[in-house]
Amino acid sequence: MTGILWLELIVGIIVSFTLLGIFIWAVKQGQFDDGKKMMNGLLNDSVEDLQDAVRNEEKVKELKEKKAKEKKR
Amino acid sequence: MSLVKCTHCHLEFDEKVMIKEENSPELNFCCNGCQGVYHLLKDDGLDNFYEKMGKNTIAPPVALGADSSNFDMDSFKSRYIKTTNDGFSRVDLIIEGIHCAACIWLNEKVLAQTDGIVEASINFTNNKAKIVWDEDTIALSAIIDKIRSIGYNAYPYDRSESEKQATKNNRDYFLRMSIAIFASMNIMMIGVAKYSGFFTGMEEDMLKLIHMAEFIFATPVVFYSGWIFFRGAYYGLKNKILNMDFLVASGATLIYVYSLYILFGGDGHSYFDSAAMIVTFVLVGKYLEVIGKKGAVDTMDKIKSTIPLEATIIIDGGKKVVPLDKIEIGDIIEVKNGEKASVDGELVSGETSFDESTISGESLPVHKRNGDKIYSGTINVNQVIRYKAIKNYANSTLNNIVELLEDSLNSKPKIEDVTNELSKYFSVIILSLALATFAGWYFYDGSFEKSLIIAISVIIIACPCALALATPIASLLGVSWLAREGLLFKEAKFIETFAKANIIVLDKTGTITKGLLEVVSTDFKSKDDEELNMLYSLADSSTHPISKAIKKYLELNFENLKHVDLESVEQIHAKGLIASYQDKRIYGGNSELFEAQNIFIENEYDRTIYHFGYNGKLVATFELEDTLKDDAKETIEYLHSQNIEVIMCSGDNEKIVSKVASQVGIDNYKAKMSPIDKANFINQLKDDGNIVVMAGDGVNDALALSRANIAISMGNGADIAIAVSDVVILNDSLKGLEKSVYISKRTFNFIKQNLGISLVYNVLTVPIAMAGFVIPLVAALSMSLSSLLVVGNSIRIDNKKFKGK
Repeated sequence: MTGILWLELIVGIIVSFTLLGIFIWAVKQGQFDDGKKMMNGLLNDSVEDLQDAVRNEEKVKELKEKKAKEKKR
Repeated sequence: MSLVKCTHCHLEFDEKVMIKEENSPELNFCCNGCQGVYHLLKDDGLDNFYEKMGKNTIAPPVALGADSSNFDMDSFKSRYIKTTNDGFSRVDLIIEGIHCAACIWLNEKVLAQTDGIVEASINFTNNKAKIVWDEDTIALSAIIDKIRSIGYNAYPYDRSESEKQATKNNRDYFLRMSIAIFASMNIMMIGVAKYSGFFTGMEEDMLKLIHMAEFIFATPVVFYSGWIFFRGAYYGLKNKILNMDFLVASGATLIYVYSLYILFGGDGHSYFDSAAMIVTFVLVGKYLEVIGKKGAVDTMDKIKSTIPLEATIIIDGGKKVVPLDKIEIGDIIEVKNGEKASVDGELVSGETSFDESTISGESLPVHKRNGDKIYSGTINVNQVIRYKAIKNYANSTLNNIVELLEDSLNSKPKIEDVTNELSKYFSVIILSLALATFAGWYFYDGSFEKSLIIAISVIIIACPCALALATPIASLLGVSWLAREGLLFKEAKFIETFAKANIIVLDKTGTITKGLLEVVSTDFKSKDDEELNMLYSLADSSTHPISKAIKKYLELNFENLKHVDLESVEQIHAKGLIASYQDKRIYGGNSELFEAQNIFIENEYDRTIYHFGYNGKLVATFELEDTLKDDAKETIEYLHSQNIEVIMCSGDNEKIVSKVASQVGIDNYKAKMSPIDKANFINQLKDDGNIVVMAGDGVNDALALSRANIAISMGNGADIAIAVSDVVILNDSLKGLEKSVYISKRTFNFIKQNLGISLVYNVLTVPIAMAGFVIPLVAALSMSLSSLLVVGNSIRIDNKKFKGK
């Protein structure tokens, strides 16, 4: 019985420290700098907002490619 | 009078004054600005905004009339625009007019839909925006125009080193605190099993497993999250000071080391949970302090963003745009309509009116003629003028105020709160008692292990959790009650200071009075429909506060008013308006205007006057006055009944100030106070040992607000006043002040009760622990019980609802 629990403890700790690593990365990226916005995003962001975010990423990618081409010229 | 909500800004107004649309009668707008923005959003498919806005209200959009082309100037570019690694341009802006999450959503969405914008992210907490765009596709001025078109405004700001440092510090503390909370929560969960096992029995293996899990979670809390305390203790010792950090670090380390001993072979229970809790509790308090410091940096950026960037000076008949620090005394400076004066000076050419609300707080523009003084930071609201600089920028009014504000914000007056004072002594006493217990028992019994266990029990039973909880729990409940009443306390600790305040200083305009002119008496020679329509159209053709007040009065008191197309509406400086209609002359303005037209006014008036004349005759006279807020008198009576001295400070003249003071029952008032006078007055009150609350709403109050122990601003006040305030009264009502006093005092009583409970608990239990009657585990349980007592007591705070007492 305790053997299984020890195993669970080890797995649990590995999982939680991995998640912790991701969390530390996100904090260093500045994703938690604006607490209010983060909470509002969780509560109110709709599917449409996510689609917008994807569209925006595509737009930015295009702009970056365009800029890179101009630089080469 | 039935109130309806504006479809755009959601503010409520009388139905009669709302703008209706024939095709869609369900729509109501309070002004043309709201109507314009509503249709713009609808046409662009952005009407989701209203769904996201929910019950929030926003300020109606203001027509700025300012030109955005200065955002494309080279001097602007070199100062504010940076180039990213990808070759795009980047600017940092502060967005004005953000009220809720929907405002952020709207701005970001509109900008994201605009061609050429690579990134637009707005911080909700400080309203700072980062915009990255492609200069080849869109100009910055077009981006600014886009933001202005939806009813917001944007100012550039320099991302200072102090901001970068504050952000870094913020992240560091946030990470340390998050890890401490995460680990402590897990330890608490495991603790349930451990303490249950104590009563039901538990196998040795299982206990070891639990101890190991607690050890894994507690180690990062003590050494990573708690590193701040070790560092602080080290620097304290280096300077020969035994500070709070030392006590937290030594307490946590002692318990941790003892628990390690148990984990690796000792007999008994480990107390990793207590070690982690101590660090977590104190760290949360520290994090709140760090947020406060970041707030001061953000506020300063907001203030600096309102300073004009450059000025146009006249050299050899030509114009030259120069940065403010290049202006020299004697330079002739040109100020266009809507621009701010950059340095102090004297008017030399032209005649205009200046909005001096930043200096005096009064909304009525002041007329300026040759030789009159122009103050930096005031706004030219009429025609282009030229003035001679009599001071350079560093010595001008605006810079003085900004520098003083910066000093005040960096050294915001603090009142040492009761808990901090207590816990300082408390921790020293407990650590000394634990040490004495250890020494006593070791001397008496000779057993090192037994002495250590008893000494540890003393520390655990006296763990300052209840003491640490006493203030925050009561304050939190108090703050959320205040928030439900529309009173936003930016930090919970202000409740304590507020409850101790003995002087409240109130600004006049916008705080005691409504800050808006209203018609208080009329004298109509005739009430002919045609004449009324002329008057209505004339009043509607100007945005001057007097014209607006007349228009509002007519809309409320007369039906079927019709617009007539007036010809050649001409504004006469500081006198009024002259127009014509079908060869008949129409006049609206003060007695001087009428006398210039040979229509003589016999009476003399104390109040602001507006005469209306038509076809060579005087038709009507209106007396206008800034009226008192409905609950002003009642609130001041209440404050007096609470033994709080009320003082009124105003930039207005003695006559008006004394009149308002006597109307509301204030004996102590100060007139003709400049922003710096007000700030000095607050300082003087504080030097005399008073705890001062200041309530104001204008830019002119910001400096005094920053000096007060507690600063309160009205929700509709200037952005800067709100930024430097500790408390915001969202609904603008003075009743909020009364509620704040009542709730703060009640909450503070509970804080005192809680501190009493936790001290009595310690006085009773610590001696028992010292005598060796309590094993560490029971000590831990009893410690939790004391925390529960404090929480339970605090819940009673808002049982008794505010009933206008």
